[in-house]
Amino acid sequence: MSSEYFADDLPLNGIKVVETAQGVSGPYAAKLLASLGAEVIKVELPGGDWSRKTPPFLSETNHTESSALYLYNNTGKKSVVLDWRNSEGLNDLENLIKSADVFIEDWDISARTEWKLSPEFFIENNPQLIELSITPFGLSGPYSTYKSTPLIQLALGGILNLIGNPEQEPLMLPGHQPDYLTGINGSNAVQIALWDRDFFGESGKFLELTMLETLANLHQAPLDMDGGIRRRSGHRQSPLSSNGFPPGVCTVSAKDGYMTFGGGSPAIWEQLCLMLGRLDLFENETFSNVFENPESGLIVDHIMENWMADKTREEVFKEASSVWMLPVSPVKKINEILEDKQYASRHAFQKIIHPVAGEATYPSPTFTANGEKLKVSRSPMLGEHTKEYLW
Amino acid sequence: MSAKNGSTQGSLAGLRVLDLTRVWAGPLATRIYGDYGADVIKISDPRVPLISPNGLNSKLNRNKKNIGLRLDKSDGREIFLELTAISDVIIENFRPRVMRNLNITYETLTKINPHIIMCSMPGFGLEGPYSEYPAFGTTAEALAGIPGLIGYDSSLPISTGIAYGDPVSGLNAVGILLTALRHRNITGTGQFIDIALAASPACNLGEFFAANSSNGYTPTINGNKSEHYSPHGAYPTRGEDQWIALSITNEKTWKTLAEIINNPILSSEDYHIFENRKKDEILIDAHISDWFASKEAEEVMFRLQTRGIAAGVVSSNRQLLSDPHLNQREFFADMDEPLFGVKRYDGQSIRGNFINKSGWKTTEEVGGSSKEILMKLLGYTNDDCETLGKQGTILFQ
Repeated sequence: MSSEYFADDLPLNGIKVVETAQGVSGPYAAKLLASLGAEVIKVELPGGDWSRKTPPFLSETNHTESSALYLYNNTGKKSVVLDWRNSEGLNDLENLIKSADVFIEDWDISARTEWKLSPEFFIENNPQLIELSITPFGLSGPYSTYKSTPLIQLALGGILNLIGNPEQEPLMLPGHQPDYLTGINGSNAVQIALWDRDFFGESGKFLELTMLETLANLHQAPLDMDGGIRRRSGHRQSPLSSNGFPPGVCTVSAKDGYMTFGGGSPAIWEQLCLMLGRLDLFENETFSNVFENPESGLIVDHIMENWMADKTREEVFKEASSVWMLPVSPVKKINEILEDKQYASRHAFQKIIHPVAGEATYPSPTFTANGEKLKVSRSPMLGEHTKEYLW
Repeated sequence: MSAKNGSTQGSLAGLRVLDLTRVWAGPLATRIYGDYGADVIKISDPRVPLISPNGLNSKLNRNKKNIGLRLDKSDGREIFLELTAISDVIIENFRPRVMRNLNITYETLTKINPHIIMCSMPGFGLEGPYSEYPAFGTTAEALAGIPGLIGYDSSLPISTGIAYGDPVSGLNAVGILLTALRHRNITGTGQFIDIALAASPACNLGEFFAANSSNGYTPTINGNKSEHYSPHGAYPTRGEDQWIALSITNEKTWKTLAEIINNPILSSEDYHIFENRKKDEILIDAHISDWFASKEAEEVMFRLQTRGIAAGVVSSNRQLLSDPHLNQREFFADMDEPLFGVKRYDGQSIRGNFINKSGWKTTEEVGGSSKEILMKLLGYTNDDCETLGKQGTILFQ
């Protein structure tokens, strides 16, 4: 009998993925595929994926098995250790890939040139193979040999320039966002290619994903902005066009922390003024565009903060959302989110026990399918499955 | 469920997607389906125009057909149900009560088409204490912890400027829907997918949650400064609001940088050790800033990258459009728009068998394909269309 709920019989069951990619982008793509049922064999060099050495660690004594970054990005996988930089290891890797559906790697053009690995190398022996290449800049073009980190990606991708105060240093997104985003895109690319291969007889493919192109897709405003430059505007949302918008679209403080107010339309501005008991501001022309009249923004910030001075974030959230229909949200800290009742009711997090790192709480896959969250299993220890696959 | 013949049409040709989404998260997801050849039918309210000079909707709704349809009118809802019967996927990002009030729920739709896959993208999720609250990507990211991790110090959180809850959720939807479609092809059953805008950004912060839950780890918020690398930040270069980002992640690149800058203080052997650089970070930053201040960002990026140092121009949206790397890789798409002429948009970062860019269609105004959809797909006559137009149920262009 077929199951209505796909957790019982995950759709990617039977799909075999081999991964040599390290860090976050490739591993996150493979983690997503693993959570959907794929068998993922993570091939690590003898020292292990570099993310194993990246803080924060969950155990003070065994760092190889307790990096939070590694433990999160490799759930549901098997770990096989081999050194593909020597010919014996490369031969083992080739053998693993011969029977795989998907191969995920992160070799940049310098590494490929050094090891004489053409994009066709693995597909020649397995024409049904979908090879996902994830690199910061791709295998061609003037930046293809450039070094990168999340900060550099966000800078070149035009995201850094949007975050922070106008006269101050532009700020990065936290952690490894370009990598996560490219990982999601990588999983998308693989699923599109699998769809074409499995239901329409398409052959395998070499798919070259880059972090820079992923970020270039994530600007909400068109890049040309009618010739204008979208500038960062601190705690206030910056406008998506040269038209600007009213005050009150900002992050301001309540009694116990900050609240972010969304908006940008006259209708939401009117609702905000109603909530503040200041309909006169809505009727005042000089308050219709905070970017033409910056003073109006400061005045409204102040009125909002006064209105919230004696109210907790929870109280503001409830009243602004349910009475005034305003899109608002408390700015939450990591520990507060772990205790948040909305996330709890959605089972947005799950506890996973690891033999060395112990118990920790990790985000569940982002979606629910027929109301259920998928469960994921722990990350492997270094070489835990080498015997199973190589001997 | 239109026909797919051959691979020239794009990998997702043959799939029909009913797109009720608006603004950013949903349209980004369905744009990917459209770029890959799916028959995306965007359903728009006839009373609200889609295309405007700011290009916000034009950027996200290429390669889609548009029908202007009043879902709140009974004959309009009827037409929607007829489309449901011949579609694979329905996707929406209204507040939960909107679909309930229209009586367009997964339960009602499965009676019309038991194979249908429906995806809702509400702010906080369809259940739970906040489910009925309005949300934008800009507010969802706040609940999910993103601005709480951005700032010059820990006193004032800063938003992303890209309504982060939206694009992350939109990208996630693409793969999850394909998984559900695969499940349908294998088992014959549909699926209801719910992706909360506030859930997806939190999934990109997994290491923070794991560490905090295990030992209370809380990162220090201090601009772009890193707990593990130094120097790490953006520095002003020549020109107005021009910056370069620099990441020194190991001893080797630090030594190279010190050699290039050739400043006696930075050349000190003490600074070969990360801990010492971190301790004197403010002093070191001041010297690096002095050196960068008179240089042109692109030139100095090239110079540092040639020596293996991770550095990058802080590009504005306009600089991104003229980025030499993206242009050489032919990333952008020039779309000849009926109202505005040729405009340059971002292309498709997901590589694979998408429709050749020369065949991309510009965003249709509301109702641009109403007639074709009603007559060719649903078998309505010219007279039917005229009546529906007069009643205001459908808008024709």
